[in-house]
Amino acid sequence: MRIIVDAMGGDNAPLAPVQGALQAVKEYGVEVVLVGRGEEILKALRSEGVDGLPKGLSITHADQVVEMCDNPATAFKEKKDSSLTVGLNMVKNGEGDAFVSAGSTGALLAGATLLVKRIKGIRRAAMAPVVPTGGGGAVLVDCGATAGGTPEFLLQFAFMGSYYAERVLGRPEPKVGLLNIGGEPSKGTDLQREAYALLKQAGEEGRINFVGNVEAREAVEGAVDVIVADGYSGNIFLKTMEGTGLFLAREIKKMFMRSLRSKLAALLVKDGIRDFKKLLDSNEVGGTALVGIARPVIKAHGSSNGTAMKNAIRQAVEFTRSGMIEDITENVGYMRLPVKPVEKGGE
Amino acid sequence: MFEKLCKLIADQFGVEPDSVKADTAFVDDLGADSVDLVDLSMALEEEFGMEEMEAEEIEGIVTVGDLYKYMQDHLDL
Repeated sequence: MRIIVDAMGGDNAPLAPVQGALQAVKEYGVEVVLVGRGEEILKALRSEGVDGLPKGLSITHADQVVEMCDNPATAFKEKKDSSLTVGLNMVKNGEGDAFVSAGSTGALLAGATLLVKRIKGIRRAAMAPVVPTGGGGAVLVDCGATAGGTPEFLLQFAFMGSYYAERVLGRPEPKVGLLNIGGEPSKGTDLQREAYALLKQAGEEGRINFVGNVEAREAVEGAVDVIVADGYSGNIFLKTMEGTGLFLAREIKKMFMRSLRSKLAALLVKDGIRDFKKLLDSNEVGGTALVGIARPVIKAHGSSNGTAMKNAIRQAVEFTRSGMIEDITENVGYMRLPVKPVEKGGE
Repeated sequence: MFEKLCKLIADQFGVEPDSVKADTAFVDDLGADSVDLVDLSMALEEEFGMEEMEAEEIEGIVTVGDLYKYMQDHLDL
């Protein structure tokens, strides 16, 4: 298996992608191609004490870098020799099995959608991070790839999230919930009510295991394996979780540092504290899968360190092996609604 | 040519071709986002052999009629 890595994307590039690639080649036995400015990549390798290229690692030179100030929708066209565009084209042309980047989310999403293309019949690609929950984590689809949405988008997100939970996380018959403000089918806006009806039907036909609406707190407690949301609500859910995690971690630290006695108590539970920090550490998660794209694409966090990049590569390996793209392709007919006339003034 | 354009737009956005009119707005009526518009411009390059559109040109197109006019100006129709 060959994973293509954007060596120039992210706050810590090219060092973090290089560190992640070195670790991944060793730990997962995969080939990694680092795409970016050759000299800078070699310099980063040397700083890690590596002269030349170790077995399994190669470099494809790309001169340009997509910056955060570039127009995300068109950056891949305007910077054809960027690490992002070159890498995506390699995956599109079968020179690699998956692509990993910690660069601009918008540019990656647009580039993946327009170069690698969506799976035929999929209306929108979605970002599907695995969020920590009381149930050992859940897939959140979508967390911001699409700001608005239609009931059909949410139906497709539910199927794709369900395949991801089953194939990548190893959850048999994953429980799918629609993020909403209450459990009753009448809750939410028109979007949630119409999506509920579609998801219920898909559940009754045995295509997904839809368990109904799920409130944010129930989702965090682990009520479902898949949290279906429009990108707007999903992003607020995700950011609230991140903020709550940081807040709690800080408060716990303050509590333990208050006195000599509490510091001693901290020593006694340090393993538990380490596990708790790990649970909330985005570097441990790896990245976010872009589901609905015809080949596996993983967005690593912009501030990824070497460990996070290694974990994002691991995620790309798991995604590639999962066969979920084939699942989506085969079943896309169940995720489509009949075409409708244009409704003036919006969907 | 206009019918062919409407069919292509209908395919891209999953709507009935007959309901795509000159005053159909990409964002307000079809729910298009910036990626959809770039996607459409790439489909036009492929289908009609149009030259690559600049980001500002794409952003300036609001309705199907605007796009058709742009095509008339840039293609030998």
